[in-house]
Amino acid sequence: MDDTRVLRDVFIREAADILASLESDLVRLEDEKAPELVNDIFRYVHTLKGSSGIAGFKSVYAFTHRLENLLDMVRSGKLAAGREIIDLLLVGLDWIRLAIDSGEEAPGLDEGREGLLKRVEAIIESTAPIPAEAPGGDAGPSEEEMDLGYRYFRIKAGFREDIFETGTDPLMIMEDLFSLGVVVERHTDRKRLPELSAMDPEKCYLGWNLVLKTKSPLQKIDEVFMFVRGDNPISVEDITAQYAISTEDPEIKEKRIGEILVAKGILTDVELNDALKTQDGENTRIGDLVVAKGYATEREVQFALGEQEKIRKRIETSTVRVDTGKLDKLLNLLGEIVIGQSAIAGIAEELDEERGFMLKNALYGLDRTTREFQEQIMSIRMIPIGPSFEQFRRFVRDTAHAHGKEIRLEIDGGETELDKTVIERIDDPLKHMIRNAIDHGIEPASEREAAGKDRNGTITLRSYHQEGNVYIDVVDDGRGIDKVKLRARAEQAGLLKPGEEASEAKLLSFLFLPGVSTAEEVGDLSGRGVGMDVVKNNIESLRGSVEITTRPGKGSTFRIKLPLTLAIIEGMLVRVGRNVYIVPLLSIVESLQPRKEDIRTVKEKGEVIQVRGEYVSLVRLYDLFGIEPEFRNPWESLVVIVEAAGSRVGMMIDELLGQQQIVIKSLENHITKSRAVSGAAILGDGRVALIIDIHGLIEEISR
Amino acid sequence: MSETREKMPEEPKQPEDIRISRTREKVERAEEENQFVTFVIGEETYGVEVLRVQEIIGMTRITHVPNAMSFMKGVINLRGSVVPVVDMRTKFGMAERDYDAFTVIIIVEVRGRMIGMIVDSVSDVVNIPVRSIQDTPHFSAKIETDFIMGIGQVEEKLVIILDVDRIMSSEEMTELDRERTA
Repeated sequence: MDDTRVLRDVFIREAADILASLESDLVRLEDEKAPELVNDIFRYVHTLKGSSGIAGFKSVYAFTHRLENLLDMVRSGKLAAGREIIDLLLVGLDWIRLAIDSGEEAPGLDEGREGLLKRVEAIIESTAPIPAEAPGGDAGPSEEEMDLGYRYFRIKAGFREDIFETGTDPLMIMEDLFSLGVVVERHTDRKRLPELSAMDPEKCYLGWNLVLKTKSPLQKIDEVFMFVRGDNPISVEDITAQYAISTEDPEIKEKRIGEILVAKGILTDVELNDALKTQDGENTRIGDLVVAKGYATEREVQFALGEQEKIRKRIETSTVRVDTGKLDKLLNLLGEIVIGQSAIAGIAEELDEERGFMLKNALYGLDRTTREFQEQIMSIRMIPIGPSFEQFRRFVRDTAHAHGKEIRLEIDGGETELDKTVIERIDDPLKHMIRNAIDHGIEPASEREAAGKDRNGTITLRSYHQEGNVYIDVVDDGRGIDKVKLRARAEQAGLLKPGEEASEAKLLSFLFLPGVSTAEEVGDLSGRGVGMDVVKNNIESLRGSVEITTRPGKGSTFRIKLPLTLAIIEGMLVRVGRNVYIVPLLSIVESLQPRKEDIRTVKEKGEVIQVRGEYVSLVRLYDLFGIEPEFRNPWESLVVIVEAAGSRVGMMIDELLGQQQIVIKSLENHITKSRAVSGAAILGDGRVALIIDIHGLIEEISR
Repeated sequence: MSETREKMPEEPKQPEDIRISRTREKVERAEEENQFVTFVIGEETYGVEVLRVQEIIGMTRITHVPNAMSFMKGVINLRGSVVPVVDMRTKFGMAERDYDAFTVIIIVEVRGRMIGMIVDSVSDVVNIPVRSIQDTPHFSAKIETDFIMGIGQVEEKLVIILDVDRIMSSEEMTELDRERTA
């Protein structure tokens, strides 16, 4: 019982990953028509089929089985992967997702499946053979390409006991198979073999599980089993990618292109060595050399490069799922080690000079290790943003089609790593911005053509690291933001007086205010003037910011700037009475000791402090927090000017203790209802200090 | 092999055996004992199921949290985790008292979260037969009977067994929160 449960859970998780990959591959297939994508898609569906069967999702199993048939036709070139098929497959994915999420119990599931299957059948029946491609055309997987180098197939062949009665001899089949290549692995399945006394000589008890190394395409192998496949359990699977690594290169490391060429039987060792000898320095590529020497064709080298890429991908995906709670625990424990260290450092101070020096030196080394340790733990929390970007392919496609537009999504820098929590929370704002770009950034095809642009619009998602921050750009090549119209809107909303001067940056910042939109018509999807303010808030809650640049007729760029991680901030330690608080360094503008005459009391505004001609509200932190301070007069204490969401306040504190990297720990919600406190951190001496949330503090005092 | 064969003849009897062992189990359950950590607040002895107690630590530096409920003393550092601590005296509406060398913090787990209870002193771990735990009688306890799971007797002493989920549940705290705001 429990086992099935575990199996189902594993499958559900696995399926979510597969479905996400499938979705993005399908959308890419529509744009790129790359043959290896078809193979990937086929493999994903195949895996889904297999695992759903094992996990007991019968309906999903049956459905994916039919999809697999359809895909097989695409793969073998009998069907072209047109929009119709891709649409159907995408809807099919939705169905699978629904079926899995609901444990195959969602209402209308069966009807949905029947409807989809009818469409599948209709497509298969109406199949017009693909027009023969002009020789030399570069689309579609040609036989020749499949024939490059060796491939590995895992063949599992079992036979019915009464197979001899049909006049078929498995031995002949196996011999046919062997003629195609070399068997590099063989297991004979003797499970069904009875004891000698019980054996019936007219029955077949054996099965085989082998790996065939061959230059023949899958099709040739399928042909061998053509007549027995129907009622015997036979499966053929292309395992080249796994096999090449697991057996020929057990250390799973990146393969050099030359090694791949040798492994694939394209080059011989001698040829490779010869080529390597002539390689001068790092600048010549071995691939170019072997082509120049005539050992391999350009095409074969390209193929090997593709294989190299695949191997890289496999390396990337050799991962373990870890509960983030465990990482947090590790980090907590590390923090304790650091505290222990500083306690020892205290002892070192008291020792005699020589021994104290030795101990301090040893501690210095340990300190470096723990620092690196912390960085490593932090880096585990970081995941590439690629999958998040990929999921938008489908979204862009569907949304664009709904608007009658053709829009391509380009992804750049998917390998950029961000804190997992940031990635989870950036999805919604990104979706909103992309939707905006589709809806009123990119013009209809006719307008684009008239403007001399490509009919198809492009939206680019780009991510990169810069100066300790992560940037995500959402770029469209649409019409840009109409500043005249934006100005009119702003005036209408009373944000600007007619004729008042406003910089471009100021104008664009109005876009983030509720109720301002340049879209003329309220669209189904966006243009209601709600949303960009939400986007901005979401991003600010991640301690990030958004910035817009736009060029009329060329397009707009929304640049999101985010911190690398939410788990660490640069903090300023401040003391109020006996309490230590942490103020995020980013929100500190300056700190000063005011003169008595700078403090005023303004009606309905309370106390203010004059800073270079500007009045800033004064917050007596001790009052707000109900604690005993050292100083009650602002001119005796220090005032830290902080800023959040465009407004500034001055916080009264007793002392600045210094700046430090802070690992943020969350506070349980129910401990306090104060919004001025957002979390806690553990200081070097083991004490807990609360982190002041400037945003919340300003909100709290303005109430 | 031979062992299994020897046992074979007994097999048909099994259903009966099970019935017997089940009744035995019932009897045993009534005699089953639970372990409780007992501690003292004021003059009364209280108990908490031992399985709920993560650990007991001595008094440590507490960081004050602004705008918290009066019984929420603040937060402490428990090996790198920030754990809230509750003063049980304030919680039960008793007079506050200075913390001394006997004051301890009992860390309990409530719905996967850790919470510390500050109590006057910890006394023992005792076994109390489930049978001898009585439902909350309507006696004039100093604390709300809602928090009490039952009363157990250890030798001559009465132990008030607390329901930590009730005391420390966040629902209860949000409710208090609402009352305070209202």
